[in-house]
Amino acid sequence: MTDISKPITGGRMLFSDEMIQVFYRLLAAFLICAALTILTNSFFSLGNILNVLRQASLLFFIASGLTLVVLTGGLDLSIGANVAISACIAGTVIHQTGSPTLGVLTGIGVGGAVGMLNGVMVTALRIPSFIATYGMLWVLHGITYWYMGGETMHGFPAGFRQIGSGYFLGLPIPVYLLLVFLAIGTIFAQRTTWGQEIYAIGANPVAARLSGIPVARRLLLVYTVSGAMAGLASIIFLARLNSAEADIGESLTLPAIAAVLIGGTSLFGGLGTVFGTFVGALILTLVLNGMNLLSVNASWQPLVTGVIVILAVWLDMKTRRRAA
Amino acid sequence: MREQAMVLNTNPLQRIPGVAVMLVLLCVVFSLMTPGFLTVPNISNVLVQSTILLMLALPMTLIIMTEGLDLSMGAVLTLTSLIVAIVALATGSLLLGLLAAMAVGILFGTVNGWLVAVVGIPPFVATLGTLGMAQGLSLIVSDGQSVVGMPAAVRGVYSGTLGGVPLPIVLGLGSYLAFHGLLYHTRFGTYIFALGGNREALKFAGISARRLLILVYALGGAMVGLAGLLMTARMNSGHPTAGLGLEFDAIAAVAVGGTSFERGNGWLLGTLLGVVTVGVLRNGLNLLALPSSIQVASVGLLVIAALFVDGLRSRS
Amino acid sequence: MKKAYGALAALLLTTSLSSHAFADGETIAVFTKNQTNPYFQTVRVGSDAAAKAMKAKTLHYIPTKPDSIPEQLSQIEDVVVKKPSAIVFIPVDYKAMVPGVEKINDAKIPVVNVTDRSAGGKCVAFVGADDYSLGLETGRYLLKTLGGKGNFVIIEGVKGSLTSIDRVRGFNDALKENPGAKLLASQPGNYQRLQALQVMENLMQSNTQIDGVLAANDAMAIGAIEALDGANRKAQVIGVNGTKEAIDAIKSGKLLASGDYNGFMQGCLGMMIAIRSLRNEPVITEIVLKPTVIGKENYQPYDVPLESRTCPSWDEAAKLGTK
Repeated sequence: MTDISKPITGGRMLFSDEMIQVFYRLLAAFLICAALTILTNSFFSLGNILNVLRQASLLFFIASGLTLVVLTGGLDLSIGANVAISACIAGTVIHQTGSPTLGVLTGIGVGGAVGMLNGVMVTALRIPSFIATYGMLWVLHGITYWYMGGETMHGFPAGFRQIGSGYFLGLPIPVYLLLVFLAIGTIFAQRTTWGQEIYAIGANPVAARLSGIPVARRLLLVYTVSGAMAGLASIIFLARLNSAEADIGESLTLPAIAAVLIGGTSLFGGLGTVFGTFVGALILTLVLNGMNLLSVNASWQPLVTGVIVILAVWLDMKTRRRAA
Repeated sequence: MREQAMVLNTNPLQRIPGVAVMLVLLCVVFSLMTPGFLTVPNISNVLVQSTILLMLALPMTLIIMTEGLDLSMGAVLTLTSLIVAIVALATGSLLLGLLAAMAVGILFGTVNGWLVAVVGIPPFVATLGTLGMAQGLSLIVSDGQSVVGMPAAVRGVYSGTLGGVPLPIVLGLGSYLAFHGLLYHTRFGTYIFALGGNREALKFAGISARRLLILVYALGGAMVGLAGLLMTARMNSGHPTAGLGLEFDAIAAVAVGGTSFERGNGWLLGTLLGVVTVGVLRNGLNLLALPSSIQVASVGLLVIAALFVDGLRSRS
Repeated sequence: MKKAYGALAALLLTTSLSSHAFADGETIAVFTKNQTNPYFQTVRVGSDAAAKAMKAKTLHYIPTKPDSIPEQLSQIEDVVVKKPSAIVFIPVDYKAMVPGVEKINDAKIPVVNVTDRSAGGKCVAFVGADDYSLGLETGRYLLKTLGGKGNFVIIEGVKGSLTSIDRVRGFNDALKENPGAKLLASQPGNYQRLQALQVMENLMQSNTQIDGVLAANDAMAIGAIEALDGANRKAQVIGVNGTKEAIDAIKSGKLLASGDYNGFMQGCLGMMIAIRSLRNEPVITEIVLKPTVIGKENYQPYDVPLESRTCPSWDEAAKLGTK
């Protein structure tokens, strides 16, 4: 992993390679849609497609920030717990102040602060990201459980709830947010210097440092962004579910990681795209949606998800042309 | 730097303070704060409770030494625990239940090893995938219900004693000694060190790194099978979700114990101490009857603190 | 009546496992499943209220991983070392925790079983609600409102959990009583709001006409309502638990009814029985709360915040437990 002879291949230089990966995944998503349309006539309806898009966007928000972390070769296991604590605190703010705007800012702020703490642990305290974020997960849960005192919050202003459940021009609002963040994320990763530096850090951290990239600062940035995205996701969950609960994030972490992996981002760092994560989230959501529509026994869901993750990564490895 | 990898099993001396200090500290604090802590029944409890985790953490240490991870252990444990229950119920035989469970564990371990070594999928991803498979199979095989009604002998595995010592402690100690002997006193052990730090050396020695890696994961699977028996014995039933998430505890215990995710430096005694430290922490917090939220946070703080201290030491 | 109590007291004296003095200040350990489900919070609050009124102390034990069987087993082993005077016990799993109850029995600590009836072990008493009749009555309420016919879906709880099994059985029987009622689908929502929401969304895609939703708990019922609202569809929804959120939803007309699974009361009664058995006062060995359906007509007494509630007196309690 510290082999200096490996060239730095930033996202930009591999643009065409990355595009091919994304293309294969879009193809896979398309094939799944086609299969589902044949298998059940409830799939290809406007209502269902919009549902799938909305569910996929919820997953994407959490997975998008995570993508940046994984690009640097790290991992953030605390995102689920981050969503929970951000939602609970943001919910309190909305209840106390009646202002959804303040709530949104609080949610993103809390999420970002948690992310920053993760970043500090990884950069300044030199704790491996796996362990640091795992420890943070427990600490966050502890704080959230204490804070919520075994109760739940519910009943948020109708205007605020539109963020999660509303429609604009026929499309669910989360989908618009999805497009916005997809655009921002892609531009950041592919077209800004900071984004390129993140790819470089993931591909070859030693060479990156030697070439003058402020590695610690960039790492701090990606963890903070990952946390802030979790904070944003918490707002959308808050709006969608109209409630805040301490265990809201439990079931989200592994699917988010799966989405990142299915989307083609490598755990070793340096390879992958935010758009790929979106397609990964889409594929995962499509499969679960299909299983629900086909009334497949819920017990099969984890098994199918596991197989897909392995298949996706395997196909990825087979089809990638790696720079020598 | 490569040569160091082979000599690293003398390095642990440098690491003794880390996790051992934490363990001693916790023991001192708890025995001062609550009278029930430093009693034979309580210490015995802690050790017995730690056995299942130890059986996962020991092979996990080896796997982490090879720069790998096995995220599927918890789910496979759930499955093997169910297999013990189902087979023992159907055949009336404890032994058959154990053998079936170990077979299933070894199967999953082999699949993991094959995916990692032959197909080349990163261990995190491969074992995440098999986690899903094992979890799904657990639900399907049990139809979401607990399995009860096994022969009484199964329970005896957890509650029985051997010469006055609780059977689980005997099994745990035996497992530890077996792994210790395997890693530090056999050629197989040196090969495993090489897997982590010096794979080229294996090639020169004519050993297939692939086969070795598969063997390491399969060994983990066998241990998970044994741990499944203990788990079923403890609950006197098989349960479709009982062991999920335990792999993270095992990884944390291994990390707390001083084995880092970097290549080659595995320290089994550290893993043992790490497992006991986590057990002591939970036990002490229970005895103090601290609010559950503090208990939850403490586990995270322990893990972070242990690695922080470790990081400081390796840089001094 | 008095003779029966006398006999009961005598029976309990002879089977009483505690050698504790009759003084106040006992320490009662309360075991609940997790910190996240509000239902268990109501049980804890109830047990605390009862203990405070009877001048005893409580200690709470909750697994750090929600619903973790190994952890609750460990907590029992640890707590037995401390020897609390008695234990009020909700098993994380009614079958897998039997060895735990037996361990408590071996330590000669009296244990009162609450909510989930343990499949084994000796308990001083059981306090709970009858999930089956609760599901049945709440289901009947829904069917009556809809005139006994229509398309229905069931959202189940956690697969394999006793409460879910019994409640869903009740739902099914209520539906079977009405030939005009058609069950379209029965899917698990894991007692989780988000999951129930997504299940409901998907069910609405494959079924254009849904008249009634029977959810095995309130969180899922609310999740289903959110899904319906989001799709601008209407259906009558019932839940179980009687949480504050459900009461608010009934007030506003969004939720039709909720089966009263009075955790506060169960906590009170469980604690009262535990303390009374320590003080060698007469107890009731089985209290199964009568199924009550909370709807628009009768929600007022339930609309009381948790903190202001008080436990019933023993005489009132004695009247509660008739099947």
